[in-house]
Amino acid sequence: MNHVLIDLKASLRSFLRNKSTIFWTIAFPCVLILLFGAIFSYSSVKYDLYLQNQDLVDGKPTYWSNTLINVLNSSQVFNMQILNSTINATDYAVSNRLSSLLIIPAGFNDSANVALLTHSASLENVTFVYDQSTSSAPIVGSIVKSIIENINFQLSQGVHYLNVEDLTIAPKRYGYIDFFLPGMIGVTAMTTSIFTSVSISAQFKQNGVFHKLATTPLKRYEWILSRTIYNVLITFLGTTIMLVLGVAVFSMKMTLDAVSLLMVTMASLMFTGLGMIIARFVKDPDGADAAANVITFPMMFLSGTFFPISQMPIFLQAIAQVLPLTYVSEGLRASMIFGQSGTAILNTGIISALGLLCIAIGSWITKWEED
Amino acid sequence: MSDDNAIRVEGLTKRYGSLVAVNNISFTVNRGEIFAFLGPNGAGKTTTVEMLECLRKPTSGKAYVLGLDIEKDKMAIKKRTGVLPQDFYTYERLTVKETIEYYAGMFNSSPDVEELIKLIDLETKKNVLFRNLSGGLKQRLGIAVALVNDPELIFLDEPSAGLDPKARHGVWHLIDGLHKKGKTIFLTTHYMEEAEILANRVGIIHNGSIVAMDSPQGLISNYGKRNMLILKQTSRNAVPNIEKLGIKASYDGTTGDIIVHLNHSVAVSDVLHSLSSSNIPFGELQLRRSSLEDVFLNLTGETLGEEEGAL
Repeated sequence: MNHVLIDLKASLRSFLRNKSTIFWTIAFPCVLILLFGAIFSYSSVKYDLYLQNQDLVDGKPTYWSNTLINVLNSSQVFNMQILNSTINATDYAVSNRLSSLLIIPAGFNDSANVALLTHSASLENVTFVYDQSTSSAPIVGSIVKSIIENINFQLSQGVHYLNVEDLTIAPKRYGYIDFFLPGMIGVTAMTTSIFTSVSISAQFKQNGVFHKLATTPLKRYEWILSRTIYNVLITFLGTTIMLVLGVAVFSMKMTLDAVSLLMVTMASLMFTGLGMIIARFVKDPDGADAAANVITFPMMFLSGTFFPISQMPIFLQAIAQVLPLTYVSEGLRASMIFGQSGTAILNTGIISALGLLCIAIGSWITKWEED
Repeated sequence: MSDDNAIRVEGLTKRYGSLVAVNNISFTVNRGEIFAFLGPNGAGKTTTVEMLECLRKPTSGKAYVLGLDIEKDKMAIKKRTGVLPQDFYTYERLTVKETIEYYAGMFNSSPDVEELIKLIDLETKKNVLFRNLSGGLKQRLGIAVALVNDPELIFLDEPSAGLDPKARHGVWHLIDGLHKKGKTIFLTTHYMEEAEILANRVGIIHNGSIVAMDSPQGLISNYGKRNMLILKQTSRNAVPNIEKLGIKASYDGTTGDIIVHLNHSVAVSDVLHSLSSSNIPFGELQLRRSSLEDVFLNLTGETLGEEEGAL
């Protein structure tokens, strides 16, 4: 055990002195999480809506124009920008490339009052000016129209005969980050473990470190144990930083139970073993990196890390079912986010069995010397 | 088994398929001596030393290191020997001091690390990372690492290969110092000068077989050419004059030199005396000693060559 600790200390020291390794194992996943989290999590988009109110008395909005503005504002769909009432708003919209502009004409208040009294349509219309080449203008237009329809309906003292009540079926509302972060932990376990064990094995084989180690009383299994513990520690380091980010930046709520910790450990074990198996069949460090990329890259994209497997074509879904990273991601999501203990335990069980198998095969075929 | 020899090899053979890397070799290394395995790249030196270090399994034959069987007592042999592999390499991002401590830990030994650093003359570089050391300093660190367990026997595989002359002499000085401390040293080399300067005994290996084994001087006097005296800018009349002394002399028509083949019965001073008493002038005088290079050429019909390369 003493030898394991000495080698582990040397490996950790080397890690802390290698800036590029630190970047790829810690900073890179964090950057991905911040980036994808920011892009997909804030989906409550607001649209820009410019507004000119020409219906003013002594520089103040009239009752009905003010009411319309307040209703639009309270929808929380728009970033409202009020234009000066004296300019030519249509020209302004053209020259400033505004996509959506609403003009409330002078006399709007009086016209509305008359309409209410006579139960006839108002003579003065609000005008929606828009640029049909932009994608947001039609959406803004339809939202504005439905809001005005609603006001009309209220004013005509219509009675709601039928009401629809909203009922959500999910107990909590999940965002993209809840889906993405557990997947990213799986990816980190995979890349850290595979790349470290493949490249260290290939390098040590090529530059003769294995040769030197073989002349000391250090046993092969002690070295493999040290490297495995190292990979697990580095994976946990990356995981911890990602979790802190998830909670601090995206206010994620998640559970870290024994099952999820076991899953991270076993995933790291499995990929370490897989790395050792790959390393056995490559000649030099360059080949090792290429082989590791060939294995990790498709897994990263086909195992439901960035988007759900159910959104992929059927044949890719079939491939995903045989990729071990799929079970890591699903298991971690089930235990950390959704609280589905059955799914979590099943997936963790599969990965634990695979992990022990891979590390056993990897240890068995890793040689320090060519006969 | 009690054994006075540091190494005893009996009919050791290593085959890779149809290739015979080491062919039925036998030799012994005495305690306290420097024994050099001299041969060109690919002769089987490294294969032999790696079998003795318990890294490769012999196809047949027996070998005992410090009286221990290389196939049965691997761990005991590893604990009592030190190894400098060819092109020593280790964790790139450990310092000189940390590297020595790392290997000391592997042997559960607690050497005086500062003393080892002083021995290899790296006191000013003890906090420099391995990756930032020059080739010569890496090799010197490798020698310090081979000493962490205070071994009785040290294997040095091509200790100065690829080093510049200054770094090479630094490594030789270090090896000589270890010998003076009573360590037994088994070294492999393809530099005849290295074997000639350092070794008490040399085994010449060629195509997997040992073709000769003796002290460097013994090899030279048995297999080398005679020492030669070369006289430049002299008269052709010197030839009969010298031959009167009972030794052979010849005139080289292209250079105008006279080559005198010395033997044990005639001293250089006799030759010079004979020339001066006959008033035969000469401008320059060279004494060419026979070397292991000549021995190797004589034994194998090939030159050792100085090319670098693996194995």
